[in-house]
Amino acid sequence: MALLPILCFGPMVMALVCYIVGRFSKPVRDELVAAVGFVTCLACAFLWNQTGSFTVSGFCGLGLHLSVDGFRSLYALVASFMWMMTGIFSKEYFAHYHNRNRYYFFNLMTLGATLGVFLSDDLYSTFIFFEIMSLTSYVWVAHEETPGAMRAAGTYLAVAVLGGLTTLMGLFMLWHELGTLSFDGLRAALGGQPASTTVTVAAWLVVFGFAAKAGLFPLHIWLPKAHPVAPAPASALLSGILTKSGVFGLIVVCSRLMAGNAAFGNALLVLAVITMFLGAVLALFSVDLKRTLACSSMSQIGFITVGLSMMVLLGEEGSLAAYGSVMHMVNHSLIKLCLFMAAGVVFMNLHQLNLNDIRGFGRGKPVLHIAFLLGALSIGCIPPIGSGYVSKSLLHESILEYIHLLQETGQSWGAYKFVEILFLISGGLTIAYMTKLYICLFWEKHPTRQAEFDAMNKSYISVRSSVALLGSAIVLPFLGALPQALMSPVGARSASFFGQEALKESIAYFSGENLLGAAESIAIGAAAYLLIVRPLLMHKEGKVLVYADCWPKWLDLENSVYRPVFTQFLPNVIGAVTAFIANIPEGLVVQKIIPEIITGVVRFLCELPEKIVLFLKNTVLRKRRRKEAVPIGNRFTYGSGRFMDAIARGLNATVCRRHPVRTDFEFVLDASGKEITRGTIRITRSISFGLLLLCIGLFATCLYLMIH
Amino acid sequence: MLLYLTLLLPLIGGAVLPLFHLKTVKSRGVYVEAIVLATSVLVWIMLLNRTDETFVLYHMTDALALSFKVDGMSCVFAGLVSFLWPLASLYGFEYMTHEERPNTFFAYYTMTYGVTLAIATAANLFTLYVFYECLTMITLPLVMHKKDARSIHAGRKYVYYSIGGAALAFIGLIFSVYYGLNPNFTLGGILDPAMIEGKEDLLRAVFLLAFIGFGTKAALFPMHAWLPAASVAPTPVTALLHAVAVVNAGAYAVLRITYYVFGAELLYGTWVQTVVLCLSCFTILYGSAMAVKEQHFKRRLAYSTISNLSYMLMGAALMTPDGMVGSLSHLVLHGLMKITLFYCAGAILVKTEQEYVQDIRGFGKIMPFTCAVFTIGSVAMVGIPPLCGFVSKWNLLTAAAGTGLPMGVVAVAVLIVSAILTAIYLFGVAGPMYFRPVNPELSALTREKHDPTWMMKLPLTVLTLAIILLGIYSQPLVTFLRNIASGLIF
Repeated sequence: MALLPILCFGPMVMALVCYIVGRFSKPVRDELVAAVGFVTCLACAFLWNQTGSFTVSGFCGLGLHLSVDGFRSLYALVASFMWMMTGIFSKEYFAHYHNRNRYYFFNLMTLGATLGVFLSDDLYSTFIFFEIMSLTSYVWVAHEETPGAMRAAGTYLAVAVLGGLTTLMGLFMLWHELGTLSFDGLRAALGGQPASTTVTVAAWLVVFGFAAKAGLFPLHIWLPKAHPVAPAPASALLSGILTKSGVFGLIVVCSRLMAGNAAFGNALLVLAVITMFLGAVLALFSVDLKRTLACSSMSQIGFITVGLSMMVLLGEEGSLAAYGSVMHMVNHSLIKLCLFMAAGVVFMNLHQLNLNDIRGFGRGKPVLHIAFLLGALSIGCIPPIGSGYVSKSLLHESILEYIHLLQETGQSWGAYKFVEILFLISGGLTIAYMTKLYICLFWEKHPTRQAEFDAMNKSYISVRSSVALLGSAIVLPFLGALPQALMSPVGARSASFFGQEALKESIAYFSGENLLGAAESIAIGAAAYLLIVRPLLMHKEGKVLVYADCWPKWLDLENSVYRPVFTQFLPNVIGAVTAFIANIPEGLVVQKIIPEIITGVVRFLCELPEKIVLFLKNTVLRKRRRKEAVPIGNRFTYGSGRFMDAIARGLNATVCRRHPVRTDFEFVLDASGKEITRGTIRITRSISFGLLLLCIGLFATCLYLMIH
Repeated sequence: MLLYLTLLLPLIGGAVLPLFHLKTVKSRGVYVEAIVLATSVLVWIMLLNRTDETFVLYHMTDALALSFKVDGMSCVFAGLVSFLWPLASLYGFEYMTHEERPNTFFAYYTMTYGVTLAIATAANLFTLYVFYECLTMITLPLVMHKKDARSIHAGRKYVYYSIGGAALAFIGLIFSVYYGLNPNFTLGGILDPAMIEGKEDLLRAVFLLAFIGFGTKAALFPMHAWLPAASVAPTPVTALLHAVAVVNAGAYAVLRITYYVFGAELLYGTWVQTVVLCLSCFTILYGSAMAVKEQHFKRRLAYSTISNLSYMLMGAALMTPDGMVGSLSHLVLHGLMKITLFYCAGAILVKTEQEYVQDIRGFGKIMPFTCAVFTIGSVAMVGIPPLCGFVSKWNLLTAAAGTGLPMGVVAVAVLIVSAILTAIYLFGVAGPMYFRPVNPELSALTREKHDPTWMMKLPLTVLTLAIILLGIYSQPLVTFLRNIASGLIF
């Protein structure tokens, strides 16, 4: 089917065309952008009941595989519908913006990439389009170029790049392990066997990137920051569609790789429940219109992921969970389209989003009122016109189904009961925060500017924008009121993509049990609004009750953990450690100390012979000092004579004071020495001495002979 | 004959250039471009009509001969160089109007082309080694071109490291000649199995020395320090020589000794593989981490080069055909991407004299063309599909994961961390170009556009197109490389 690549690359080409046109004429460009959205939407509608595939082998290495079936045509349609509506709405919203050409260029680029994600038939193609989408949508978030927007955009990009790379790592592990990345090939490669450890690790790595895009805890950090700063049409798309592209990846992993894998299902369920509940709580505490909606998106993604995890846990009986998930995806996309555009209407008039600044803006503005109310009822799941009721009931039922299953087989089910309770509470909180927004916008009065707001009642929205706003809102009550006709087919056509079978029997959407669940949520919501929002999250300043931002600042995962780790810790630690090691060759040790040691040793060795000679010269070979001549006699007589003189002097001074010794021993000894010498000479020269020696010699010889 | 002509044309053409006393940019441009283009044409004729013949130029001794042969790997390197050189020269003409003594510069610049081609077509390790040394000598005047204290210091450092590295490589050469069956490169190694029996560990140690020695030009730790210092050279030099010719010659030589001299069989799975993988992984991390910290634009790119060259060395160190494919594809594609980035940095430097990252904020309005090209190059460099950096990273990652060694897993992790750091240091430049206000001190620049003339724009356009097209349609290149690596084509 040649239409598939045209759908993916056509908008990208048109992006360039629109950019060039925009250089010459801005009105023509605005119409052209809307027209591209419209044509794409028509083309996607044309795909509705078709199946087919398209392959470009060799594209980026592994080739491009596109395919269309029930679910993919549905989501291509939803995506292009949202682009069409925001395209129509954008003209008025962006009227006073700078750099619109850039925005529209990247807007259409993202359209192509998003359709590429939803029409892809192997994870590799999904990934390629996913990365393009992440990068091009970065420009949306950064569009306002305020410091806040730049910071949020930085976070968005960091999460996208990090997620993308991690997914890539998972992909080639899968490729290495299973030899294929195509959706059907993955299932076939596993062949019904439980996944090996490597495949499980790879699946989690793949999930990382997709979960980051979907906004799953703990990778949700970009979501509450990026949505409020992006232009409203972009927020609608980010929240309605781009998060769903992450969910799309999750579906593939859940249905192809991890179907029936209880450990994976439970782990995903934990993350999903945290996301669902945390998002709802954050939304309740938020005092910013778009931030509330963004946190709500996070919470709703949690709901959808709960459905997916239940589908994994239920294995082959997860049809109901799959139905609930896909319906909630569709619902959430359409609801957020409507709500973010409504928020956009507020912002384009007031350029403010804080609830205290915008309260009462909606009074006397029926178009805005109707659109917002329909959206709020839908997301709050109020039967019968809240479309969210339909999908959430199914999700709720799937939890109950699993609990029943566990009860039948006698396993512990308490944890899942807890999940169910959190599910209902989150549903209740949804109602509470939507009530908070609704009452703030449409019933309360602004303490000072109410007259100014009322004066805008005629001019706050153009006909064109109201068509877009009401057009996207009016779908919702039909979806809610006629679930059998409208919602069941959505589930049925998608079931095969989720790896489930279509349900044969019709679903009783408005059964007593479901209505009871809704009633419980409504009761919790009312209680939360009356007991938490009014008394705790508002306080009096002067005479007016104002919305207070009570969420502690330090409880921000991004600022307290991620940013320090990635901007400070990682580069600095790696940098410091590697630079230290790498500088060793250039450092003190190598440049100074080692050469010093080497030259020292070598010099020592070279000089060693010389040193030895010197040493010998100073010791063994030293020239003997010439002795000084003594005044009298030889050295011996003179020395001993002086010694004896000293003794004699000592004796004279002490013992022999009366009869002092007057002998000068030096002379005496010299004289006697000479005497002895002379005597010796005389003796040794005499014959008798010779004879004496001879006798001694003979005697010694005899002695020797006798011994031997 | 054609081969000798191809090698001699740029060598002689460059050597006689100063004799002509070319005075104007135009005459010099025409002369240099004519020689370079003619050489490139000859190269392509040679590559397309290659035969399995070895040309012996000169016998030094019985064992050592200067000989040339055009095989598959030569095609890759010579093809890349011959594609980039004419573009680089074109770019250089405009750039060098801002530097002194252009005639000397282009003389050496053109001669380097010949030496690089000789390295690409060398048929044995001896020839490779000889021209490898020549490359050091002939590029030295280019590095020291400015003749100020810093360039002379950089030049000295360059020579010390290169000669030191070559000395280590020389040991490898001696052993390969002594233990080799035949001197010419053969896929799978040339060592005589009978002779090395029992001396495997000795030869592995020699391989380690040769790896580090030839890795010097590829800025492998611990011989990396010359490269950031050498970024003081004029941009055409830093771009072409330090992103393409010189450093790739290092990576090329390492690939040659790994796969064609010592042979992967001797090395795979041994301690020496662990060591060289560790060295390259370490250099990857070091280069990218330092690039994040570096604020000088060209030095940041130089550190990025250090990191990316070790991607190639890592591919070589994997010792599998897949690793060789990854390494060769990164050699080609990184050359394209990095030269693009360097040219953008050079254009900014020449046109606005800004060389620090924080000073080029908001330049998207001042130099829209250059910034757009830089952004595309950055996206490709990070490895985001469908641009070409993704192709080589994919190949490297699959190769690393496919080795089945524990170090392979480490290598994968290192590549991923490095990719994150790459995103930080390149998007940290590209993002603020568009989304930050211009530095108030430079507000005088905003009055008009400062994009360079066609001589700089044309190379950038061609390179950008190559980056996009080779990303989207990489099949022929990768198939060709795979055939080389598996020995299907000689």
